Amino acid sequence: MTIPQSQQIGNVKHLVAVKNLKVHFQVTDRIVRAVDGVDFHVNPAECVGIVGESGSGKSTLVRAVSRLMPNLRVKELSGDVQFEGRDVLKMSEGDLRELRRSRGFSMIFQDPLGYLNPTHRVGRQIAEALSPHGNVQSDSQRVQSLLEEAGFQEPNNVARSFPHELSGGMRQRVMIAIALARDPKLLFADEPTTALDSTVQLQVLQTLYRLHKERNMAVVIITHDLGVVAELCDRVYVMQTGKVVETADSVDLFERPKHTYSARLVELSAHRSSFRGAQYE
Amino acid sequence: MNEPILSLKGVSQIYTKRSAKGWRRVPVRAVDGVDLDIREGETLAIVGESGSGKSTLAKLLLMLNRPTQGQIAYRGLELDKLNHEWRSQYRRQVQAVFQDPSSSLNPRMTVEETLRHVANRHSLVTKLNQRDFLAAQLAAVGLNPPEQYFSRYPHQLSGGQQQRIAIARAIMLRPRVIIADEPLSSLDVSVQAQILQLMSDLRATTNVGFVIISHDLGAMQSIADRSAVMYRGRVVEIGDAIYQSPAHPYTRLLLDARLLPNPRGTRVRSPPPKQAAPFASVETTQGCRFLHRCPHAIEICAAIDPQLRPLGLGATQVACHRAEELSAATTPV
Ligand SMILES: Nc1ncnc2c1ncn2[C@@H]1O[C@H](COP(=O)(O)OP(=O)(O)OP(=O)(O)O)[C@@H](O)[C@H]1O
Ligand SMILES: Nc1ncnc2c1ncn2[C@@H]1O[C@H](COP(=O)(O)OP(=O)(O)OP(=O)(O)O)[C@@H](O)[C@H]1O
Ligand SMILES: [Mg+2]
Ligand SMILES: [Mg+2]
Repeated sequence: MTIPQSQQIGNVKHLVAVKNLKVHFQVTDRIVRAVDGVDFHVNPAECVGIVGESGSGKSTLVRAVSRLMPNLRVKELSGDVQFEGRDVLKMSEGDLRELRRSRGFSMIFQDPLGYLNPTHRVGRQIAEALSPHGNVQSDSQRVQSLLEEAGFQEPNNVARSFPHELSGGMRQRVMIAIALARDPKLLFADEPTTALDSTVQLQVLQTLYRLHKERNMAVVIITHDLGVVAELCDRVYVMQTGKVVETADSVDLFERPKHTYSARLVELSAHRSSFRGAQYE
Repeated sequence: MNEPILSLKGVSQIYTKRSAKGWRRVPVRAVDGVDLDIREGETLAIVGESGSGKSTLAKLLLMLNRPTQGQIAYRGLELDKLNHEWRSQYRRQVQAVFQDPSSSLNPRMTVEETLRHVANRHSLVTKLNQRDFLAAQLAAVGLNPPEQYFSRYPHQLSGGQQQRIAIARAIMLRPRVIIADEPLSSLDVSVQAQILQLMSDLRATTNVGFVIISHDLGAMQSIADRSAVMYRGRVVEIGDAIYQSPAHPYTRLLLDARLLPNPRGTRVRSPPPKQAAPFASVETTQGCRFLHRCPHAIEICAAIDPQLRPLGLGATQVACHRAEELSAATTPV
């Protein structure tokens, strides 16, 4: 398909290109400018981090880009969002579903409980993501290996569980397995490792990094942990009150932060990890 | 030494789960024989493996679950046997912040209604100055200006804002103990710093104690008096210096897997080759539960399940046969 020049935004090589995105909500008589004029892009096979204040619009940005905003009262939704040159905001529901299914994008949500089906065992939910109309039996091998990649040592037990029988971190890993089952070109991950202990977190991030490299999967990861950004991301956006206040290569953000808020984040994280000053080794 | 305000003796929580095929029910030992004293006014961190029973332990302490085995006592009184009056006192004095704030807040109540509900139930303030009081609670957790948040429903808040409403709701009652399950996980480091400061101010002014469950080892090191490490339903190490001198091999593993805010770090991008644990594939039901991942396991570890015991003269307790040897081998020079 060729795209008329007029519909292209900026660099066509971008996998995702967002221009001047605004998402405003109405709360009683007040307007909340959750995302307020954001430019954002992701290159193919790139790993991008989004950090920022709590409430600065990170989740809203990613949801708007993936058009996953179920029944919210949106006062204004404007701007351009393109995925491989196609306008996501204007796409029909059918096209959107097709895009998601055909290796488009997957999403790991901030609160997994809200997105897992409470009445189905998790093994079945992963199998359905693997092949929506496929043979659930034949996928059980794949389900197991996905669960292993998500850091489970007893994948069989987990596959047989219902979501409420799992711990917070286990549910988070199930979401990760579901998202990866779709073999996406682009993975949006909203704080995917907050409920994981450090060893499981490391294992999950290693898996993401490996898939990112092996399958050229682009990753957009929202996190409050600058350690995750430092060790995983090529580039970072820093958000504050609905706006991007800085975008930089990871190395530059840590070594030469430009915005005062970024500098504060970097300083506080360095301070936090310096508690390890008296390292035991 | 402070009196324990809460104490657990041999506490277990066994869930049953239906097996995949057929109707057989299989037991899941989520918490498996935990002994623990929580002292008045202390901040106790509970860290450890995802799925090791931390949230289950929190539910037991909050009387949301009854232990399958063992006893929990509040100021020496068994929770099971509390009369009505003590029970309601307990519910006021022991407050909770749950792991998943979006499901612990009532989706049909605005922020103001949620807080007002709690304030009324415990007749905290007169109706007259209630709004100011509630606004002050929101400001304390960094929700400024507070009036902006009063009329919002939970789904109109970000993850971190929901988490802070849950914190505000717990601290406004000025309880004796706050049991907080991952209270900082959705907050940026700058709001985290503010909440940690708020906690230490509260401790100074009201001597409230905290039991904080967290995966953020750095934050716990900065705030906890003592930390307990859980692995598969057990406390495998507890002490006041686990971050500086970890005694259990699992604690070491946790500390070593932390990510540094260093963009030249290589833990994720080029991980060191995994060294296989010597007993990785040995089947045993009686040995140490960390056996399969432990690089230091020897014969005895496969035969005998190590119990929590004091290590040396310090305040540390550890459940590892080789703790003395291993800590001697890696003491700082
Ligand atoms: N449905 C909604 N209605 C009204 N306001 C909303 C709605 N959803 C989000 N908001 C507001 O928009 C702002 C951005 O929210 P968002 O969830 O995107 O923040 P975030 O950066 O993901 O924060 P966190 O790190 O705390 O998760 C917040 O101030 C939030 O209160
Ligand atoms: N209702 C239930 N039925 C069956 N098993 C359960 C139930 N609730 C929890 N479990 C199991 O109990 C174990 C402990 O769960 P718990 O939620 O206490 O872990 P956790 O330490 O809080 O983990 P996380 O850090 O991931 O939140 C897990 O193996 C979980 O699968
Ligand atoms: Mg968010
Ligand atoms: Mg938990």
